[in-house]
Amino acid sequence: MRILVVEDDTDLNRQLVTALEEAGYVVDSATDGEDGHFLGDTEPYDAVVLDLGLPTLDGLSVLENWRRDGRTMPVLILTARDRWSDKVAGIDAGADDYVAKPFHMEEVLARVRALVRRAAGHASNELTCGPVRLDLRAGRVTVDGSPVKLTSHEYRLLSYLLHHQGKVISRTELTEHLYDQDFDRDSNTVEVFVGRLRKKIGSDMIETIRGLGYRLGAAGDE
Amino acid sequence: MTSEVKPAAGAQLAAKPQRSLASRLVIVAAVWSTIALALAGVFLVGLYERASERAFDAQLEVHIKALISGMLETSADEGRATQTVTAPTYRGDPRFSLPLSGWYWTVRKADSPQILYSSESLLGDPLNAPPIGGEEVAAGYSIGPTGDEIRVLQQRIFLGDEPYVIAVGAATAGFWADISEFGRLVTLTLCIVGAGLILAIFLQVRIGLKPLARLRASLSAVRQGEAERIDEALPREIAPLAVELNALIVSNREIVERARTHVGNLAHGLKTPLSVISNEARSSDGPLAEKVTEQAEVMSTQIQHHLERARMAAQRRVIGVSCETEPLLSRLIRAMGKIYQDKGVLVDFEQKVPIRFRGEGQDLEEMSGNLIDNACKWATSRVEVNVSPLNDPATNRDMFVITVEDDGPGLTPEQRAEAIKRGRRLDETVPGTGLGLSIVADLAALYGGTFELDGSVSGGLKAKLTLPALTRE
Repeated sequence: MRILVVEDDTDLNRQLVTALEEAGYVVDSATDGEDGHFLGDTEPYDAVVLDLGLPTLDGLSVLENWRRDGRTMPVLILTARDRWSDKVAGIDAGADDYVAKPFHMEEVLARVRALVRRAAGHASNELTCGPVRLDLRAGRVTVDGSPVKLTSHEYRLLSYLLHHQGKVISRTELTEHLYDQDFDRDSNTVEVFVGRLRKKIGSDMIETIRGLGYRLGAAGDE
Repeated sequence: MTSEVKPAAGAQLAAKPQRSLASRLVIVAAVWSTIALALAGVFLVGLYERASERAFDAQLEVHIKALISGMLETSADEGRATQTVTAPTYRGDPRFSLPLSGWYWTVRKADSPQILYSSESLLGDPLNAPPIGGEEVAAGYSIGPTGDEIRVLQQRIFLGDEPYVIAVGAATAGFWADISEFGRLVTLTLCIVGAGLILAIFLQVRIGLKPLARLRASLSAVRQGEAERIDEALPREIAPLAVELNALIVSNREIVERARTHVGNLAHGLKTPLSVISNEARSSDGPLAEKVTEQAEVMSTQIQHHLERARMAAQRRVIGVSCETEPLLSRLIRAMGKIYQDKGVLVDFEQKVPIRFRGEGQDLEEMSGNLIDNACKWATSRVEVNVSPLNDPATNRDMFVITVEDDGPGLTPEQRAEAIKRGRRLDETVPGTGLGLSIVADLAALYGGTFELDGSVSGGLKAKLTLPALTRE
């Protein structure tokens, strides 16, 4: 899962990036409106955390521009202007949720988790596929009830596949959503991680569709 | 039990209504015209009476002259003319011969009341002539032999060597009838003139004060929020008023806008570092981190409270702001639906008639936002928002009521009273500053409205907010 953080305060930006990374997301960040807008316009993000008070281009305009250009990723706005008129203006501009400053990091994490889940069409914080169960809140994975230890890359891969289970996901899409913008897109590390994940959750869970990509589905689903 | 916040006492000092300018002008002009016309009437009738009296006296004098000439007999004696006084031979007017006709004459010696000669009409009765004193000619009123009023003209004259007083009297009945007829005509004429005058004054005032009515309509449009500024195309005398009012409105809006921007900047300036401090502290261990977390929490609540107070102070007495409640609430509820999408809470909104809130849209949004947000947080599946007009019988002001009901667990009466207090959070597990309901209460009081918490039929909480509405004209 790849998240974009647009926040001009460098300390808060760093805190957000760290917390999100610790929660298992790949995070890109920008500290002004124009950079943020450019990233959101060109990279596929699973969610965006957007501050409204930004230099060069304010958050509301960034959001409006994205929505006008057909960018549909869920956006969580952070705002110090926490009157309802500001919140409603943000939501009307296309935001999916808001968090008022000052906030607790847990709150932002919970909201981001909910946005990503909701965008993929899941109602619960627990994603399951056959014997595999992922608790988004705790970041815990179990197979047939027994816990499985995953590295952060493996966790991201499984989480992305679980969010989009049943769909064929190309290697490029996986690369785009699992690594930040500086990652070398040509490397074949995705295949390596898919191989490792298969070993941990069962080899028949992830199906390779030749020439197209991967699909997560419980064995015998078809 | 309901917890209620009442508006500050004495917030509304109703000014005693004054009579309108138009009615003042019309009444003063009408009173003055009526007095002037009445005086003119009295004066005219007086003049007419005097002129009539003179004409009457002249008529009587003619008879005196005729009597005198009839009393003198001239005889030529030895080439010298001598005059002797005899009984008057005058019969000029037949009314002097007709008994008690109202026309009489008498002749007496000046030094004796003894009547020498009198008209046949007197039938030998005396003529009650007022005393003549030392004057040559005197006129006056008296009572005639029939008991009717008569006017008597007396003249003192030397006939031969002796002074005589000749009196001619005539009943005044016809004379007074004439004068009263004249008075009636004058009154009628003046009444018609007066009515015309008052109508003219009324029209003049209406036309003259039309620009004021226009100014009023323009001001009312600004108050309704239908116009940004007052129309300045007005007569020279009141144009400066409109210009000044416009300047006042602009400056008022600017002050509010500036204050709001300032508060916003301050909010941003303080809250971002506060987020950093508090998050940094929460991710560390130890007593220092704990203390910082705790104090950051206190600061956050304080900042929130004071920013809200500053915003409230800034928005007071903004001229001519109002907003439609329906689109604002619809928009708010749509946003709420998005925020609480996961929870599956259904927000029902009902407003049957259009209502305008007399105040800042942002404040209405803030109050109803906090209430609906709170209801959505606690509701099991349903929140009902209802807006309806209300006429406050106590103050006769147009108000409207927003009720927000949820089907959540609700609160006990004690908890409800507690919930409105500043910074109270009944459940610390749900995020919030605990200021929401107290902000609603403060804002409602500022607008002269009320805020109450009660139990809903479904067992949840029912919040009732009463706010001033704009009277539709």
